[in-house]
Amino acid sequence: MDKKLQDLEKQYTEVSIPKELDFVVERALKQGRKKRKNRAPQWLLGSAAAAILFTASLNVSPAMARTLSDIPVVGSVVKVLTWTEYEVAEDNYDANIKVPSIENLDNQDLANTLNDKYRAEGKALYDEFITEVGDLKANGIGGHLGVDSGFEIKTDNDQILSIGRYVVNTVGSSSTVMEYDTIDKENEILITLPMLFKDKHYIEAISENIKEQMRTQIAESNQDKVYWVKGAGMADEDLMEEFTAIQPDQQFYISDKGKLVISFDKYEVAPGFMGVVEFEIPTDVLKEDLVSTKYIH
Amino acid sequence: MKTRNAFQHEEVFVQFIREQKERFYLLAYSYTKNEQDALDVVQDSIQKAMLSLDRLENVDYMKSWFYKIVVRTAIDFLRKHKRLQVTDDDTLQYLTPAQEDVYENVDLEHALDELPQMYREVVILHYFEDLKLADVANILDIKLSTAKSRLYKALKLLKIQLEDVKGESAHG
Repeated sequence: MDKKLQDLEKQYTEVSIPKELDFVVERALKQGRKKRKNRAPQWLLGSAAAAILFTASLNVSPAMARTLSDIPVVGSVVKVLTWTEYEVAEDNYDANIKVPSIENLDNQDLANTLNDKYRAEGKALYDEFITEVGDLKANGIGGHLGVDSGFEIKTDNDQILSIGRYVVNTVGSSSTVMEYDTIDKENEILITLPMLFKDKHYIEAISENIKEQMRTQIAESNQDKVYWVKGAGMADEDLMEEFTAIQPDQQFYISDKGKLVISFDKYEVAPGFMGVVEFEIPTDVLKEDLVSTKYIH
Repeated sequence: MKTRNAFQHEEVFVQFIREQKERFYLLAYSYTKNEQDALDVVQDSIQKAMLSLDRLENVDYMKSWFYKIVVRTAIDFLRKHKRLQVTDDDTLQYLTPAQEDVYENVDLEHALDELPQMYREVVILHYFEDLKLADVANILDIKLSTAKSRLYKALKLLKIQLEDVKGESAHG
């Protein structure tokens, strides 16, 4: 090779490699693997044993003491409280995990199922974080590691309670996962996406509407927004993970105005910089498929 | 069949990433010029690749397939962030189309950095990452003839003798 080219190559490879690289790569591989496996979403993975252990440790450890802080919910009986909060604040490692708890539901089975799930997942998240910090320290690798998890009430009216839980993992960059539960407060049942519709046709109706919205947003933003969707100017082979259809049990919630909102995690249908994305589906698009207009109207 | 491929691919992929991670970082860095952003691009690329690994038909294509993901992710990243960042002169230079007269006399020390992105990426992928020009064209989504002419132009800007260009024939 030409001498100049060799010099150039030397310049190119002289860039110092940050020590976090190893960790970022391993972490991305691990998360990627998890995502591949999780394509069939695992609902209700909470095991009773884990929940009991967890409750016990809550009572023993002052660090895990129950911090019941009320979220002001005016005029409704069913409440969402912070069950517990895990906090780690070290130089390069910080975790803040808030575990919600739904209180005052008469339907104890429903309340227990949800609360056990929340607690088990919060605990698992904390354990995983501690293990990873341990690994990092043991290997003498520096770098920043953070996890931030909590919940937000998307809707709370006389009829509907939609609670969204998020997990943000930070290693240099971040990934975000969002999961929703929607409860019919009158009848005290958990609402799933399939049960809102007469048959499976809703998948197609919603998916087509989302694709349309994606294309419109891309065009209107002058290509600043990017979704992996066909027919928006991106060559087919550039679509890394083309969006074709929602999952039958895609994450969703019902807005205060009774609109269906579909949610996608970071990286699910768009490049990382787009973050978690949501689409409100116009009720007109759904009316043929809806079982009733009780929840969605 | 498909699933088994996917699992085999995953093993090969994980090994490939672990062995070559520094090369991916360098490539990402050549776009972002910033440590944190380059790490971000590497992470995004790996996750994207894992998700679409099932669609990779042949592991032989893994290298250029993954480089393509890195390049696209890096470009997406620049596109997103160019509005948010204060654009300094260097950034402007590599986002601006080539202006011949400016680059007529590059001094070698910063030669690569000063080369506009469209030329720099061809040089990096072909010479430093040792990819065939046809693969480079595929990765960058340009025609083979365009890749060739950019490479020649790049060498001209760098004042490198054309005789030294690796011919396509040498690569088969």
